[in-house]
Amino acid sequence: MSKHTIELTINGLRHTADVEARVSLSDFLREDAGYTGVHVGCDHGVCGACTVIVDGKAVRSCLMLAVQAHGADITTVEGLAEPGGALHPVQETMAQEYGLQCGFCTPGIVMTMAALTGEGKRPTEEQLIDAMSGHLCRCTGYQGIRRAVRKLVAADTGETVDGGAA
Amino acid sequence: MKPAPFDYVAPSSIEEACAVLAEAHGGATVLAGGQTLMPLLNLRMSQPFILVDLANIAELKGVTRVDGGIRIGPMTRQCDAIDNKVLAHDLPVLVQALRHVGHHHTRNRGTVGGSIALGEPAAELPAAAVALKATIEVRSVRGTRQVPAAEFYIGPYMTVLEPDELVTGIRFPEWSLGHVTLFCELAQRPGDFALVGLVGALAIDSGKVARAGLAWFAMGPTPMRAKTAEQLLSGQSLAEIDPQAVAESAIADTAPFDDAQASADYRRTVGTRLFARTLREALNVTEAA
Amino acid sequence: MNAPDRRAGANAGAEPAGRPHAGSGRYIGQRVRRKEDARLLTGRGQFVDDIALPGMLHVAFVRSPIARGRILGIDLDVARDVPGVHAIYTQQDLAHFNVDMLSFYLVSPEVETTPLANGRVAYVGEPVALVIADSRPIAEDAASLVVVDYAEEDPVVTIDDARSGPPVHPGCDDNIAAEMGEQEIDEDLQALLEGAPHLIRHRVVHQRISQSPMETRGVVVSREGAEELTLYITCQSPHLVARWVSLALGLPPGAIRVIAKDVGGGFGLKNHPWKEETAVILAALMFNRPLKWIEDRYENLIAANQAREQEMVLQVALDDDGRLLASHGDYSVNNGAFPQLSECNIAVHMFVWAAYRMPRYGFLTRGWYSNTIGYAAYRGPWAMESLIRETALDVAARRIGIDPIELRRRNLVTLQDQPTTSCMDLPLEDITPAECLEKLLAAFDVAAFRREQAAARKEGRYLGLGIATYIEPTGAAGAITTMTGELAQVRIEPTGKVTATMSTHSQGHGTATTMAQIFADRLGVPYEDVTVFEGDSSRGGFSPGAAGSRQGVIAGGAAIMAADLLAAKFRQLAAHLLDTSVDAIVIDEGMVRVDGAPDKCRPFADIACIAYGEPDRLPPGFEAGLEAQYRYQPPPMTFSSAANACVVEVDADTGFVRILRWISSEDCGNVINPAVVEGQIAGGLAQAIGMVLLEEVRFDARGNPLAATYKDYHLPAIADIPEFEFVHAGTASQSVGGMRGCGEGGAIIGAPTLVNAIADALAPFGEVPVDLPLTPTKLLSLIEGRDLSAKTVDDQHHFIADHPVTVPVSAAAESAPQAPQPAAAPTAEALVDGDWKMVLSTPMGPQEMTGHFETRGQALAGYLSSPEGQMDFTGSVDGANLKFDLKVDKPMKITLKYTLAVTGDKIAGKCKMGIFGSAKVTGQRA
Repeated sequence: MSKHTIELTINGLRHTADVEARVSLSDFLREDAGYTGVHVGCDHGVCGACTVIVDGKAVRSCLMLAVQAHGADITTVEGLAEPGGALHPVQETMAQEYGLQCGFCTPGIVMTMAALTGEGKRPTEEQLIDAMSGHLCRCTGYQGIRRAVRKLVAADTGETVDGGAA
Repeated sequence: MKPAPFDYVAPSSIEEACAVLAEAHGGATVLAGGQTLMPLLNLRMSQPFILVDLANIAELKGVTRVDGGIRIGPMTRQCDAIDNKVLAHDLPVLVQALRHVGHHHTRNRGTVGGSIALGEPAAELPAAAVALKATIEVRSVRGTRQVPAAEFYIGPYMTVLEPDELVTGIRFPEWSLGHVTLFCELAQRPGDFALVGLVGALAIDSGKVARAGLAWFAMGPTPMRAKTAEQLLSGQSLAEIDPQAVAESAIADTAPFDDAQASADYRRTVGTRLFARTLREALNVTEAA
Repeated sequence: MNAPDRRAGANAGAEPAGRPHAGSGRYIGQRVRRKEDARLLTGRGQFVDDIALPGMLHVAFVRSPIARGRILGIDLDVARDVPGVHAIYTQQDLAHFNVDMLSFYLVSPEVETTPLANGRVAYVGEPVALVIADSRPIAEDAASLVVVDYAEEDPVVTIDDARSGPPVHPGCDDNIAAEMGEQEIDEDLQALLEGAPHLIRHRVVHQRISQSPMETRGVVVSREGAEELTLYITCQSPHLVARWVSLALGLPPGAIRVIAKDVGGGFGLKNHPWKEETAVILAALMFNRPLKWIEDRYENLIAANQAREQEMVLQVALDDDGRLLASHGDYSVNNGAFPQLSECNIAVHMFVWAAYRMPRYGFLTRGWYSNTIGYAAYRGPWAMESLIRETALDVAARRIGIDPIELRRRNLVTLQDQPTTSCMDLPLEDITPAECLEKLLAAFDVAAFRREQAAARKEGRYLGLGIATYIEPTGAAGAITTMTGELAQVRIEPTGKVTATMSTHSQGHGTATTMAQIFADRLGVPYEDVTVFEGDSSRGGFSPGAAGSRQGVIAGGAAIMAADLLAAKFRQLAAHLLDTSVDAIVIDEGMVRVDGAPDKCRPFADIACIAYGEPDRLPPGFEAGLEAQYRYQPPPMTFSSAANACVVEVDADTGFVRILRWISSEDCGNVINPAVVEGQIAGGLAQAIGMVLLEEVRFDARGNPLAATYKDYHLPAIADIPEFEFVHAGTASQSVGGMRGCGEGGAIIGAPTLVNAIADALAPFGEVPVDLPLTPTKLLSLIEGRDLSAKTVDDQHHFIADHPVTVPVSAAAESAPQAPQPAAAPTAEALVDGDWKMVLSTPMGPQEMTGHFETRGQALAGYLSSPEGQMDFTGSVDGANLKFDLKVDKPMKITLKYTLAVTGDKIAGKCKMGIFGSAKVTGQRA
């Protein structure tokens, strides 16, 4: 089994590591880099819990090898909030809208929302919901997630929306 | 659920990649976007000795216009193809099909060539290639060959690709501007395997169908070309088309199976209806335009 | 989040009059932001896979690829040589632990159950060997190299197979895992059914379900020296796991600490350890290194216990006005090979008509062993009762020609009818399904919908309305060993902040939030100043955690009581320090004031500091510190009620169902946090939608699981779930705080609501067979009037009655074991008379008692005594065989029929407990 030296940026920090070819990006992020906020819910690319942002795009980290991330810029859920502790708007919105219960699927959902909103992006509600269809949540029935999506879309388009939970 | 051990190489040219494949004598597997391969590796359903990652081969990426048609590099990511202006202009139905491939996240990594080369019978892109009469360019150390998409697929996940061969391009012929596009997919949840799917295009000349390309997905062991329906439509004026009759001829060219998602009978029954519905709606749109 | 109004209820510390009620306060009843979210949203939660200990090794299992067979040999040689492999264990290595694989009720299993396969395998995925290695990938490499030689046998897969197939467990006469009720419908009931103007015979087939928490099972075990064991395990109660491990492994309880800070959902799967977790614990004890096993999703779908897979036929007799006359239920559930509980689900029959005025009900209920994964709980394990009743009522309404709402109005038990008892003798005092229904109808215009439906049908569009009502037992405590009260321990720290330690446990329930709301309200402190700890068996006290919709009800009561004790103590001290009366003390926003004396005030924290640090300033006899605890024992059961409505459109071309609207009208009593309650209801409803439309664990004829990944096991995704609308009925319960449970209701009421809507939409085509999931293929078959289902799959749509049970309950099983007859039989008097220490193994846990027997010829007299009291009986004796009956009133009026046999100093036999089936009796001379 071949071993490879990879260099990458995770949450703004440079990392160099030697990895075996078969190590997935999700296992690398959790076990080597220590970002245990990356949750592995299925390890076959369906549940979405392990979603991270790679070079600006939301991807399943269980469907990438660590060696494929050589040279990549990666953000995990640990890298979203400001170092001082203020939550990212997506995290804040999810908390306000009760978008989580057990919190296991949450990091992935938050990362998809973060990848698709902010920085002048103008997603439609339909686009965000379509992206959310790649996430499984067994607790919430998606009620708060849907409300959070609506609120984020409104924030990105500058429209106001009747906030607060149902 | 961790992969069995393997070696990993990421060649930087097609020649180099072909050389690795040739030397591996069938023990190598090509890694494109990995969105189907990685689960198979994790489940140890695929246990290659060498994984050959094509990500570093620049010439395998991108969409270009070539003598009247379009050439797509197989390592073009699905998300990039969706955003590609040339495709949106020349082959809108392909973009429509691309939007239905997997989920947002898998489209961010998955490639056009990966899906085409895999040959999943319920997948959108192989059927689109068959319907739109694409040619698949295949390379190995033994040389280059051009395989019509309709001849590329021989069974579920089975293609004419030899173990030492690599897909290096997918060429779509020109479909005249304003051609009628047909796309319909029925799946239980977004991103699921289709229960019934169809994709196609009708090139129109002076109010008549000059050329028809139609194929089903999830309706047989491979993408199923609706050849009889294509012949029926060719030369017909748009006003004369009887969608129901075309649908019934199209369904004759399917060989659906029973699986956990739906029965063969279901697929035939619903397939006929969706075909007729999709054709009717497409013609209405064309008429109104 | 809106900041709660800090002023409202500023005198929250005041003693409430009479029974403490939560009502609504500054925080109670408010949508307060969750305490759990900050860590979970930033990836700082602590789930079991996040634990890494020095020296920790990793475990993978070798699993059976066949559903049934003998193990001829296990060859570990090649696997052991893989670099990085430390040890491989089989059951032979673990046998000396003699683990007792207890049920949730802490009862020993009915059939031999071992952590790893013991000479035989009984389902695909059964763990056969355990590999310990440096990493999980290496452990999997080695597991794939273990060679197991099997002699494969034909498996028993379905309930139908189990009825006629060879016993799954050697030594059993048949595949009946548990049975209660009457084998044949009694004549009176039969006459009522047959003589009724309308008899509905309604059949429901419920598929097998994977609980599918997003976090799979997993455990990290660390042995510290000979006497201490620390477990990090994803579970529903660290306290229950500690108790289970202590009893199952025979370890001293003090040695075990179980930690589960964050858990990614449980839903019944994680009540207590099962085969794999137990094997890892034993392996860690043997190998003396910390071990980690994290179940992957493939293992979770093929080898974690599963739920449902039931068939039921309900007969319902009604008169011409739609009034219920009589009913009979015949229920079967697939228990798999090694159920976490040999289950025939008596609760289905207890609750099926509990909310309706049903004069007469009889039943037969059975659990069947099969060569599949074992049975475990899933949110609302008895939910079949609501599914079959509510769908049967709609069938009846269509048959008789009555509006389904009117049919319910005529038969539901209303508040005016109570107190009353159900047809199964369940006492009812304050159930409100009829009231929930009226509140639901106030929020939904049925007449307008019917007009819309009629108009749509003319266009070939099929809209349907489904309505269902139910009651749910919640917060049960006292009847079952493990279903106890809850403990709250709370202290005001010297800093003035409040710290509470609870027996609760959250797998997403948000108990740290809801309990903090209660403490903040009752102590008059800001919510931000309250911290609630849970999730560690070394903190707080025993409770089963999340099981039976109980935590809000019982722990909420405990929190109120403990907080009130502490508030009283604080106020006593404050009054002393401020030189005023207790009644004049007002606590407001971190300040303590004296009513009517604005100049007298002190920071809350100052008083707290004095309580700990300045003993000279305390009132005489005042115990230093500010700490209190209360274990709340609630009423035996608290009922929640609900009525739901949903509107669907079924595409008649494809058989696809689209849910257009859904309203929940639920009575959860006083609501601590509406957002949390709605979250529970919504989550349950989503699971119900999955059950009706999407999810299914299937096996082929050889017992191979066909849904081994999430590509094949379809959980509902965001597009499948509508936005729910909520009506809270809010009738305070009898328990402290007035709460009612809300954990399982959505999962129970959701299925019949949706099925009824689909059936209403498709009524023009006939009755929808309720065979879940209602796939597009099944619905289109009804629409087309022909069977479109797969021809390559065995059609199992037979009525239970079409397959009369051919497995006779053997005479041997019915009567007591026969005592061996010695050549010269001693007299009965010598054999029997005297005192015996006996144990009755009931489904609710073992009951110890002393039996006193006196014989006179063939007559027997005596008594049974237990801590609950002494009961006399008379009976008969035949040699060494005894028979006697006892009538008991609790938990309901039943006659216990004992048949026992004496062998030397041992006594053994059975006790038939009416509808509760038979229990084993064992004992010896006292």
